[in-house]
Amino acid sequence: MSSYFTVFKDESKLDINYLPTRLSHRDQQLNLLTRFFQFAIESPGQMAQRVLIVGKVGTGKTALAKLFGLKIMQMAQEKRINLRYVHVNCREHRGSLFMMLQRVILDFYPHFPKRGYSSEELLQMLMQVLDEQNVFVILALDELEALIENEGADALYKLTRVNESRLKSVQRLSLIGVLRRLEPLSSLDESTKSTLQRNIILLQDYSKSQLTDILTTRVTLAFKSGAVLDDALDLIAELAEKEGGNARYGIELLWRAGKYADASAASEVSPECVRHASSSVYPVQKDAVLSLGLHEQLFLLGLARRFKRSKEAYLTMGEAEEAYRVVCEECGEKPRRHTQLWKYVNNLTAVDVVKSKVSSNGLRGKTTLIGLPSISAVELERELSKRLGLQ
Amino acid sequence: MVEEIFSSKGRVKILRLLVEIGELNISEIARRAGLNYATANQHLDILEKAGLVLHKSFGRIRIYRLNEGNAYATAVKTLIEGWQQ
Repeated sequence: MSSYFTVFKDESKLDINYLPTRLSHRDQQLNLLTRFFQFAIESPGQMAQRVLIVGKVGTGKTALAKLFGLKIMQMAQEKRINLRYVHVNCREHRGSLFMMLQRVILDFYPHFPKRGYSSEELLQMLMQVLDEQNVFVILALDELEALIENEGADALYKLTRVNESRLKSVQRLSLIGVLRRLEPLSSLDESTKSTLQRNIILLQDYSKSQLTDILTTRVTLAFKSGAVLDDALDLIAELAEKEGGNARYGIELLWRAGKYADASAASEVSPECVRHASSSVYPVQKDAVLSLGLHEQLFLLGLARRFKRSKEAYLTMGEAEEAYRVVCEECGEKPRRHTQLWKYVNNLTAVDVVKSKVSSNGLRGKTTLIGLPSISAVELERELSKRLGLQ
Repeated sequence: MVEEIFSSKGRVKILRLLVEIGELNISEIARRAGLNYATANQHLDILEKAGLVLHKSFGRIRIYRLNEGNAYATAVKTLIEGWQQ
């Protein structure tokens, strides 16, 4: 028998991918979303809908969309309507319409060929599949910014207009766009913008008391009874509020504070554990780092190692590339070339993992300077080394 | 007819693949069966004429599957599945 003591009852309830059965303080928005898609249950195929969910990091956008997806599929099943909710993260698919559509089509045909056609053809194929199988799809495009950044206005135009070219047939594809701000939409043409911006669900930052509610629910699910002190919970809520009402940050902090309590063999999570944890949790999305491709992770690991030894706030692109090549050698990977790395830097900047700027006076020529503003290099190195099996 | 269908190792391989995997496009069938595209295409034509397989077209892409509505195809499936066990 193990003598190991833990404050946790079920730590999976603190995982970033855990979807609670009820979202505290988002009932109204869930209701509104369900109202927008009421037609999908009452008169499927008569129309298609486009809705935007907008809110800062950790305001429950993804959870809201996914919970809605589960709910509407349940409702459709009861009415024997063949409706599927498909959630696609645009950033994970590198903002490529082709890759996202492919992901949807693979749900229906797992062995569908992976190349040999354009995204326009793929969209038509998807509509054909939906017609043939008599399916209605609500496609949620999470981190929609990535799609707009990568493909410009065209991709969204095609997606929003695909039903229009099928006027007499059944409307099968509805869209939910999930994004942090509305500004990226300004690059779209007027008609796409107006079609998309008709239905917006704005998620406000969580207040401290709302965060306390959310955290209390998670504490009940994840921790043993009485294992988290009220003061500790209060402190976490306060810190999460300071991070812009970021519930995800609060939940991660809660998990880490629990780990510190376990590591020090304490029977309770105290404010001291929270203080310890807050100095090591970085307020960026952990899943942003986890969803990166192999070489992006290798590049980031190179950066983390360099920053660990350096006292400078920024590295030049050349230094970063050098550090990356060393990591590649260690992993037996062929290093990517400069342009590809430059794209990685842009991507990492977009997800707020690194900060980049063009060098000004004092350096010869122009180079990109890369900084790691909000993540501890030590922590990042540990996390990535573990993921890449380098420990 | 039966001799013609089963006298070819390529055709038997294709049938086995479709029994095991379900649906595949021609390039993938050719790759997995170790045939070239044209040969796989010819075999699939013969199998389709015999009613053993069906295809669906998505633009230029054709996806083949066993014709479950055909009694011979079902018998072939039972035979292959039994043989594999």
